[in-house]
Amino acid sequence: MNRAAWIARRIAHLVPVLFGITIVSFALIQLTPGDPARMMLGSRASPEAVAAVRERLGLDEPALKRYGSYMLSLAKGNLGESIPYRQPVSELILRFLPVTGFLALYAIVLTTPLTLLFGILAARNRGRWVDQVIRMLSVLGMTMPVFWLAILMIRLFSIDLGWFPVSGFGTGFTGHLRHLFLPAISISVYLVPVLVRNLRAALLEEMSADYVVASRSKGLPEGYIFRRHILKNASLPTLNLFGVMIAWLIGGTVIIELVYAIPGLGTLMFNAILGRDYPVIQGLTLFYAFTTVIITLLTDLLSALIDPRIET
Amino acid sequence: MQPGVYTQPVINARNIKICALAAFIALVPAHAADDDRDIIRIAAAFRTLTLDPTRSIYTGAIETFGQLYSRLLRRNAEGQLVPGLALRWEISSDGLDYTFFLRETKFSDGSPLTADDAAFSLLRMRDDPEAVYPAPVLSLQNAWAEDARTLRIRLKQPNAPFLEALEMCFLGVVSRADVERRGAAAAFADIPVTSGPYRVVEWRRNDRLILEANPYYWRTGYPLNDGAELIEVVDTNTRIAMLQAGEVDAIQDITHSAIAGFVASPDTVVPEEPALRIQVLLLNHARPPFSDRRVREAAALALDRERFTRVATRGRAQVANTLLPRQLRFHDPDFPGWTYDPHRARQLIDEAGAHGAKVVINFTAPSAYYEMMALIVQAYWGDIGLEVEIRKMDQAIYEQRQMDGDYDAAIEWWYNENAEPDLAVKWALCGSCGNRAYYTNYQNDRVDELVRQGAAELDPDRRRDIYREIQAIAFRDVAQIPLFYPSWLNAYSTRIEGLGFTPATQWTLEEARHVR
Amino acid sequence: MNGRWPTTLRLGAGIVLLWLLVALLAPWLAPAEPNAIDLDNVLRPPGDGWLMGTDHVGRDILSRVIFAARIDLWMGFLGVLAPLSIGVAIGLFAGYFGGLLDSITMRMVDITLAFPFLILVLAIVAMLGPGIANFIIALALVGWVSYARLIRAEVMVIRSAEYVQAARTLGFSSPVIVFHHVLPNAVSPIVVYAMTDMVLVVLAGAGLGFLGLGVQPPTAEWGAMIADGQAYISEAWWISFFPGLAAVSFGVGLSLIGDGLARILRIGDL
Repeated sequence: MNRAAWIARRIAHLVPVLFGITIVSFALIQLTPGDPARMMLGSRASPEAVAAVRERLGLDEPALKRYGSYMLSLAKGNLGESIPYRQPVSELILRFLPVTGFLALYAIVLTTPLTLLFGILAARNRGRWVDQVIRMLSVLGMTMPVFWLAILMIRLFSIDLGWFPVSGFGTGFTGHLRHLFLPAISISVYLVPVLVRNLRAALLEEMSADYVVASRSKGLPEGYIFRRHILKNASLPTLNLFGVMIAWLIGGTVIIELVYAIPGLGTLMFNAILGRDYPVIQGLTLFYAFTTVIITLLTDLLSALIDPRIET
Repeated sequence: MQPGVYTQPVINARNIKICALAAFIALVPAHAADDDRDIIRIAAAFRTLTLDPTRSIYTGAIETFGQLYSRLLRRNAEGQLVPGLALRWEISSDGLDYTFFLRETKFSDGSPLTADDAAFSLLRMRDDPEAVYPAPVLSLQNAWAEDARTLRIRLKQPNAPFLEALEMCFLGVVSRADVERRGAAAAFADIPVTSGPYRVVEWRRNDRLILEANPYYWRTGYPLNDGAELIEVVDTNTRIAMLQAGEVDAIQDITHSAIAGFVASPDTVVPEEPALRIQVLLLNHARPPFSDRRVREAAALALDRERFTRVATRGRAQVANTLLPRQLRFHDPDFPGWTYDPHRARQLIDEAGAHGAKVVINFTAPSAYYEMMALIVQAYWGDIGLEVEIRKMDQAIYEQRQMDGDYDAAIEWWYNENAEPDLAVKWALCGSCGNRAYYTNYQNDRVDELVRQGAAELDPDRRRDIYREIQAIAFRDVAQIPLFYPSWLNAYSTRIEGLGFTPATQWTLEEARHVR
Repeated sequence: MNGRWPTTLRLGAGIVLLWLLVALLAPWLAPAEPNAIDLDNVLRPPGDGWLMGTDHVGRDILSRVIFAARIDLWMGFLGVLAPLSIGVAIGLFAGYFGGLLDSITMRMVDITLAFPFLILVLAIVAMLGPGIANFIIALALVGWVSYARLIRAEVMVIRSAEYVQAARTLGFSSPVIVFHHVLPNAVSPIVVYAMTDMVLVVLAGAGLGFLGLGVQPPTAEWGAMIADGQAYISEAWWISFFPGLAAVSFGVGLSLIGDGLARILRIGDL
């Protein structure tokens, strides 16, 4: 089917998904015990004050009615207000998004060249010691608990050596680069092995394909074949995985952000869950979902562009 | 596959140069723009949730109130009550009329601070439906400004703790004009009008609170610094790492295992900071097994609190002999407290037929400290024949269970802002004061009556007898099991001096400055 | 191709088998009670008496690491089995019956996928409370998606295959045929994926333990032990180190098995 219609259909699929997400997040919130009013006011707050706040927030109204009014304001583009902070959820998200975005991008910038380097090296030297070493390191990187690694790195690089700051986001571009280096590396240590394994497999598959054998028999140099065809064709499945990884990064940085005290979306979500800040939980969930879907869409689009044979 | 389209290999000279540049920028330690201003940086354990002093009594919130809003009275370095916004005051002989003579001063926006603002602030806490802690001002019948410098207060009945209550950080004075003009929500949303040592530069929610010195602060010459940053760092180990790396000037609430390292280092100190705190085991009197007094007594006798305290706090806390914090006025220092008698405990358990009774101890995650205490209690209670399970849960669920009375025992602490015992006993031991004696469901009518008397009684000797009797009765009834009196555990860099944490959970930020 | 197992598979299987034995024989292997606190011997370094030292309440780390193997292996196994069963069941039915059922299933897949994995697990555990059972439930609710997709893809391929049509005309009941053909083909990618998934499950469990929402104390679990030891990293590194080592070695074993299986089953790796 033609490209435009395909895009339109995919976007149309977004609607029921987002709808379903609001239902699921609302249901989760309903089922979770805990009182956001009390969390905000403190345990010594008078019962009257707690009741007054609950009244103002409409927390005691029937669930269906609350869901309805939430959806209504959502339709008007209003994500609601954070319960303790009394700031629009959209504003909070926009404030913390650049931090997480920077971290994610930083991780990607560190990951990509390493992935290409190790993936190509491993594929070109398949079976030899270079390949074995890369594969062992990959396995190690994938299984290391990220917070364990973070603790060790903070100990060594921040405290003992003083090369990098322990925490925070920093000011100015260079500040950001310094503060987020260790967190970004922590993410890469996990991402690189996963992507390398995938790229290597895809490369190997391409390398034994018919057209490659044919090209070789025609006398074309190995390097040329590799760059022109193999790499390009192998990039497709890796690109797919890459897209999945980016989407994963948006929500998956929680632990990193907590350990390194980075004021990003992960910290926002974690504190919102602990403090039962319902509007923020719901707003962020929608945001995550939206982002994931868009990224998946873009990845599929990109794949289709690269390889016209992809079924759309 | 079009001929002639040349794709460069990824690893080429240009890409290598880009990577090297990026690495260089990342790795070369950039000099932070040297701030000529003296800014104190603190890594706090709690988040700031609101800037309105009447809207939250959550621990993290009240720490910031004191930096933003002045009160009628103040505490000096020795902890004594001294004039704050009020230069002097008079109390009528029947204890019902208070007159405060205020100094001439301004708010952070330059507008004059008058008695009318003071009256407004007090009444706000009493009357606003969303005001969280009206208890200290419930005895207020009326408050009004006789003139711009004179505040008159009339109480419904004599209230001994009243004067001290006026020093507490949630009774800070706010600008009536501003609150009425902008509305409470907007007035405290981002840049409130403040009366204290600082005003807000920026409140980055979920991140940090950036303060600068208030040029209109009535205490001339203070603060000694130009501003402060209260950075919210929830993870304890990250806070510790931040001080070890020299990124902040002070950190709040460190683990006991970190003490030795900070004390040994020449760059940091961990001072002894008394707190009006007590660590307890809450017991639910409303259901078995702790509904039986004998089981409660057994549970108390089963704990070797000396050892418990030594292991849990590395000797930094004192064993608690009564149910009131040690530095509270009228605390009975000679009271013997519980002994360690597991033999007697087992007898009591058998008498009560509670051998094998199931007990669940609740505590909040993610606290390794509480978990350790729960494990130790589990072992001791297991020794006397109880079947103990410990349960970790997040704060919200924990509080819900407390309120619903759905627990057997809980590891808890509480504190009082000042040495006045009235609010303390109301909070922890009074069954009819609103929280069912801190959710233990303990109800002793004599104790409740004594609590009422204690607040109204003005003679200190008679008050002392009242509060000693309260302690004795509560102890005998095993209202809670007292564990130890912890002090605050904060670590400071030696680069600054003058910063401390008071028993009222206030940083002495205005006294702090960098010395190197 | 020779019939011998590749080295990675043998190595991985060896490691996992070792841990399996440790878990099974825990009561006999462990020198002490894993939950017995000993206030006279807190924070002892590795040495005589305690091969891996003691923790902040005097418990023997070695015994705890051994008993934790039971929990982590069990969590890894169930944490994969539960989503696998649910996912395969749903995927089979959706793929076979197609139509509305399939559409609904795919929408549910999209919805679940749109939630960040850790956040969703976190939210569910926050809702249900910490503990192994709730963790498995959370994983099942979140992780079924990948298995459903894998199996559904296979089913759709087979459904339209000629021999299925042929078999139908011969009177064989189609569900039987489809399942009969689908399952053997689907087993390979699912098993390989399951191995990687198990590593992720163990890591997720460790992560939750770190956040304080993992297993209930005093149960020994590698992730929770790492989290416990974090506060003591400067003075008692062994509390975090040994469980970390255990988790990594077990994870490595699983990864190697996954690697090796992929090789002999000729999927994705050559």
